[in-house]
Amino acid sequence: MEAVNTYLLSVTLASLLVNFAISLYAMFFKPHYVKKVIALTILGDTVNTFAIYIGYRRWVEQRPPRVPVLTDLRPEAIEEFKNLAVDPLPQALVLTAIVIGLAVILFLVFLGWILYSHYRTLDMREIKRLKG
Amino acid sequence: MGDKPMLPGETGVYLVMAIISLLSVVAVYMAVKTRDLVKAVIYSALQSGLYSILYFLLLAPDIGLVYIPVAVGLIPGVLLVLISKTERWEKE
Repeated sequence: MEAVNTYLLSVTLASLLVNFAISLYAMFFKPHYVKKVIALTILGDTVNTFAIYIGYRRWVEQRPPRVPVLTDLRPEAIEEFKNLAVDPLPQALVLTAIVIGLAVILFLVFLGWILYSHYRTLDMREIKRLKG
Repeated sequence: MGDKPMLPGETGVYLVMAIISLLSVVAVYMAVKTRDLVKAVIYSALQSGLYSILYFLLLAPDIGLVYIPVAVGLIPGVLLVLISKTERWEKE
């Protein structure tokens, strides 16, 4: 059963890597601006998921890991928290990264709007041809 | 069988995680492949929804709760506004 568990976790990680590769390809080689922005959101989401995945821990002796919330401050409760809780640090960092990513995407959307009002197209090949 | 369940809880959780990430690969591929930008936005929202389920399974429920309104609601909404102001189809 241990091998099956490792295999399933590897499938999860491999699909995340495939998502990363597809979104990187779309960001570089798709000509349309909106498609590039969509690929950027997918890329950011995948990188955030990698961070969360690093903080995850497998089950300890058939007991499930816990959400990193500590409300009980007795020493034995802290000991159990140390043994079972997942890592809270990547979660705090990802929470910040999601909000920053939202701000970046909003900026890029309004940049695209202005780009369209200048060039009357959002196709990058056309914009390159119309330059100057 | 006896008192032992057919699928232990650990393997079940990892199986759901694997299925959700494989579905998200399909959603990402369709979002990149399609020429209709509205469909691309909808597929990327589907991918975000699957990722938020993955966050719940990876025991980060606070991230999941922030992520659903931002990545399923707000970003696709703003992108749809941009598409309605500009053009819908990606040329060959």
